[in-house]
Amino acid sequence: MTDSSQPQTPNSQGFIRAFRALVIMLAVAGLAFWVYQNAVQPEADKPFKLGLDLAGGSHLVYEADVSNIDAAEVPELMSVLRDVIERRVNVFGVSEPIVQVESSSFVTEEPVQRLVVELPGVSDVGEAVAEIGRTPLLEFKLYDEALAAQQETLQNLESLGESATGSRAEIGNVTIDGEAISQEPPFRDTGLTGRYLETAALEFAGGNSGQLSNEPLVSVRFTAEGAELFAEITRNNVNKQLGIFLDGELLSAPNINEPITGGTAIISGGFTAEEARALAQNLSFGALPVPIELQSTQTVGASLGAEVLGKGMQAGVYGLGLVLLFMLLWYRLPGLVAGAALLSYVTIMLALFQLIPVTLTAAGLAGFVLSLGMAVDANVLVFERMKEEYAKGISSREAASIGFTRAWSAIRDGNITSLLSAIILFWFGTSLVKGFALVFGIGVIMSMLTALVVTRTLLLTLPDTKKSAGTLLATLLGNGIQK
Amino acid sequence: MFLITYRKIFLAIAAVIMLGSALIIGSLGLNLGIDFTGGSLTEVSYEIAPNKTELENLINTQNLGGISVRASVDEAGRDAYLIRTRDLSESERVELESTVTSLGEAGEISRFTSIGPVIGQELRDKALYAILGVVLIIVIYVAFAFRGIGTPVSSWTYGAITIFVLIHDVLVPTALMSILGYVAGIEVDVLFVMALLAVLGYSVNDTIVVFDRVRENLMANRVEKRTKREEAGVMYEDVNYTLTKPYDKIVGEAVRETLARSINTSLTTFIALLALYFLGGAVTQTFALILMAGVLAGTYSSLCIASPLVVTYAQWRAKKETN
Repeated sequence: MTDSSQPQTPNSQGFIRAFRALVIMLAVAGLAFWVYQNAVQPEADKPFKLGLDLAGGSHLVYEADVSNIDAAEVPELMSVLRDVIERRVNVFGVSEPIVQVESSSFVTEEPVQRLVVELPGVSDVGEAVAEIGRTPLLEFKLYDEALAAQQETLQNLESLGESATGSRAEIGNVTIDGEAISQEPPFRDTGLTGRYLETAALEFAGGNSGQLSNEPLVSVRFTAEGAELFAEITRNNVNKQLGIFLDGELLSAPNINEPITGGTAIISGGFTAEEARALAQNLSFGALPVPIELQSTQTVGASLGAEVLGKGMQAGVYGLGLVLLFMLLWYRLPGLVAGAALLSYVTIMLALFQLIPVTLTAAGLAGFVLSLGMAVDANVLVFERMKEEYAKGISSREAASIGFTRAWSAIRDGNITSLLSAIILFWFGTSLVKGFALVFGIGVIMSMLTALVVTRTLLLTLPDTKKSAGTLLATLLGNGIQK
Repeated sequence: MFLITYRKIFLAIAAVIMLGSALIIGSLGLNLGIDFTGGSLTEVSYEIAPNKTELENLINTQNLGGISVRASVDEAGRDAYLIRTRDLSESERVELESTVTSLGEAGEISRFTSIGPVIGQELRDKALYAILGVVLIIVIYVAFAFRGIGTPVSSWTYGAITIFVLIHDVLVPTALMSILGYVAGIEVDVLFVMALLAVLGYSVNDTIVVFDRVRENLMANRVEKRTKREEAGVMYEDVNYTLTKPYDKIVGEAVRETLARSINTSLTTFIALLALYFLGGAVTQTFALILMAGVLAGTYSSLCIASPLVVTYAQWRAKKETN
């Protein structure tokens, strides 16, 4: 195999080629290990992100009525709306909910503002809709010392009971003075709510009189009616704590130092400027800033989603196996190289799905399985060109090199049109189509890249021979119909 | 190359396929799903499913207007019904749920989708624009990429023929969808549009590979003749190309040389789709079927329509010019 006149150069070249091939295969193997770790470990930082149709859950689309709002203010209002809804969804206790604003594309005459809410794992759509449909509530409540004391007593009883009998259930029903003890934070209603709020604004504490300078605060101004109520409450409850609740969650509980008659209140609570601004924003729109209406709902049961995922993966594994088998049987040794390139393609794609991350849906999985069949195309193009040259009597390595040069224009033009299609799809598409277009587009680029890097390097590493040699190796480098 | 020699037969077959598909679509129509029309689709699964008429009658007491109930099997293999109604309000949905689960054994809503009419209309528009946009960009790119191909037909001809090929490739799977809708009540959803777009991408790739070989063979089989002339003190150089082989022979060779590649790529794609069809579950089964039809149509069109058509057109032009 070595050239007798120049024994050194081909040898060192061969060594470099083999080394490069080894590095590439090791890198792909390492990546595959990483992908696998991320997929199976429950606490991985980059797990696969499953869409609702695979993980189960609810997908709600609300349409916001912005017809009475100045177009310039719409984006800000929508972001406020998103925050309000997100807060409510978080109260719902769903893991990783998604709340996003989606504006209909330029295709329709009138842009429609939508709010998309995804609740993984929530298959009771009614409960979710009810929760979101609730108007957000800003409440001012007074600290209830009596209730706090009762709760403390109950807690003591419980800990006693636990140590005595180990049963909490019985103690949970203990009543004092014939009334069930609330387990809520010990505050009682004052009747003062967000309804009486006029505005809320971000402020910074002045640097005077010993106050911490520049502490971000939120000041709220009540309406005339609210100011009266507020004055009355503060007058009667000096030195008590006034809890400020948003959607039932205690935000802060400042102490009432003196009666406040000016109709304004300051909410402090160690906010960062960003937090304070967000709070002021949310308070200003304690009620939804724009009316919303439920447009579409989609629910998939969790067990069903798992079933779809399992079948999709099964189809992927079998599809991959069959394509590998076909390539190996038809193209023999180069087919093996194409197999390595295809496995690299799958590894890189899965890694990108985890990294970007791409939300996997049933459609995305189907598109990926489809791409397994199409990804070998660049390899097939090269091998066919290589075969032509090889049949002419050119050595296999040179034939491979020529094959790449000749097939390039077809690979380039074919892939560019596919990429353009993907871009258009992404541009026009709804979120579902966008996901498909993204997978499709990345797939096109990666299949081209693996063919150009992995296939090329490995193919040029294969031992060099000529068809006329008639050896087993010469046959292995041929393909299909030829001997 | 027999594909070029007997091109009239292959083009006639293509014409029959296209006309037939258009007729099927025209007469049977498309069974548009709620993705496009708006409405609600409820899948209810049972351990022991109730009688279909009984279920229908019970749902009808709720006065939801026209409903359709279709027996199916859910992803876990349980007997299920797909109930299609108009766009339901929250209270109507709750009522429907309690109605359908009151029958049979262990009834459970396994899937519920409700789409407002506005979103449906918008999606329909978007789908149409997306398909048109993709076709347009492909044609422009083909015309651009093959510029300078010159003799005997311009690059725009290749672009225009690509459109024709793409129409063929969209018609065939759409006709299949039309039949599936008529026979089995399968509805057109967003997945179908994605399948069509994937077919477009696949087919144009296939066609470009053949055209690319035509381009290469044209370059290899031409002689360049440069003539210099002077006009008003300015030197001009005219470059003329003459083909050393007849155009149809050159195209024929290009088709022969790309045949193995076309068939092999179709096969690998088809194999992957077969796996998806048989193992991928009910959600993507129709998607796989439509794509298989599309891949077959795309392979046929790039081999038996694109190149024969370009030869037929070149000869028709040559004839017109000599007359």
